[in-house]
Amino acid sequence: MRAAFRYLGRGSWLARRDPRVLILVAVLFVFGASQVRDVRQLLVILAAALGYYALAGIPWRSVRLQWIYLLVVVTIFATFNAVLTGGQAGSFVGTETHLLLALPFGLTLTAEGLSLAASQIVRYLSFAAVGFPVAYAIAPGDFGVALRRLGLGDRFAVMVDLTIRFIPTLSTEFGETIDAQRVRGFDPLEHRGGLRTRLRRLAPIFVPVTVGSLAGAEDTIDAMDLRGFGTGKRVWYRQLAMDRASWVVVGVFVGFLIVATLLNATGLSEHYLLPFLVP
Amino acid sequence: MTAIAQAAPGPWSVTTRVIVYSAIGAALYALFNWIAFAIQIPGTENVSVRPHYGLLTFFGFAFGPVVGFLTGFVGNTVGDQLAYGSAFGSWWWSVANGLAGLVAGVFPFWMASRMTSTGSKAFWAAVAGVVGTVVGFLFIWIELIIQPELGFNTILTGEYIPVVIGNSIAAAIVTPILVLAWEPLSEQLGR
Repeated sequence: MRAAFRYLGRGSWLARRDPRVLILVAVLFVFGASQVRDVRQLLVILAAALGYYALAGIPWRSVRLQWIYLLVVVTIFATFNAVLTGGQAGSFVGTETHLLLALPFGLTLTAEGLSLAASQIVRYLSFAAVGFPVAYAIAPGDFGVALRRLGLGDRFAVMVDLTIRFIPTLSTEFGETIDAQRVRGFDPLEHRGGLRTRLRRLAPIFVPVTVGSLAGAEDTIDAMDLRGFGTGKRVWYRQLAMDRASWVVVGVFVGFLIVATLLNATGLSEHYLLPFLVP
Repeated sequence: MTAIAQAAPGPWSVTTRVIVYSAIGAALYALFNWIAFAIQIPGTENVSVRPHYGLLTFFGFAFGPVVGFLTGFVGNTVGDQLAYGSAFGSWWWSVANGLAGLVAGVFPFWMASRMTSTGSKAFWAAVAGVVGTVVGFLFIWIELIIQPELGFNTILTGEYIPVVIGNSIAAAIVTPILVLAWEPLSEQLGR
């Protein structure tokens, strides 16, 4: 097991852009798409998001499982929500709901509920399509400097940089700790016993990994202090430059945010009842 | 010999130690979020305990509110990115995680006079973890504005209550265990 940001999109068109673009686009997109409710508009947005995703050149086989997992989780959550609300949380025209199936405990499956679920699923998939390039088309070493150049403080940028660097190391330590416990005949991940037993069983991996990494952090702290970290303005070795294509991409997504905000403010993006669901 | 008096950093100072501890906390939290440990509570449909949640409240309690906030916020954001490829898709959950860590981190400063022994520290760590969870996750009610598809009932019964129950159990059990393990070591390290 190895958890790390894999640079799968290396060399792609998006990877050649300034890394700030990918982060900015993800933020602008989330704020824009969150304001759109009509599933027809969301489908157009998803198509555009997938077009953007294709520019990252992420090999399908490397992220196939992630997409399937995401689709399953989002579908389960959206369906659960559809059943629980019966579609009454939406902003459909009219107050009448169209019953499709009566369920136990007074729950209902309605055409409105399923239409809401469709909106949610499409929206989350579009979030993922724009979010994946942040993980896979930015060189892991560029996150810190990109955040700094986006105006965040040096300390916060270094903190995020360190987080990304620590993940593979801690992942390896975690795997070694599990192996060490198994060699001793103890399986911390065994699916047996009640809640307390299973929680107690995890302590021999959580405690050594956490405490061990904290003790090891002293070396990093000393090294940073000895180099005078935080005593003056930090100079970043890596320089970033926005080329014309980068500005165009940012401009397109700023435009999208403006349009989405206008659609929301003028009531032109209310929930759409899928007509084929109405009995 | 001259003694040099050095003021202890306050709860909101951002020192090198805060940066590094936050990074470790966030990396651990992201890693465990990605691995997605979850133990279903028997007899419930959607309440599960994520044991690693206790890490977040521990980092807040042991190292202060800034570390707690950054561990929760950055850890959850990076974990979402690793697991779903969507760092900002549920940014309000990341903020809620951060706020839980922040509240757990403020607690020791309020309760300093009552934490006289390691045992009492462990007890207050559990309390801080639960209070941090209940208060911090109130932030997810922002979904009423940004996720209009979710009604009040869904947020209450499908999200807030299950998350608070599951995370409170994890915080109440895991936070004191980590405090008890860290205390002797921190004394050895002179922290």
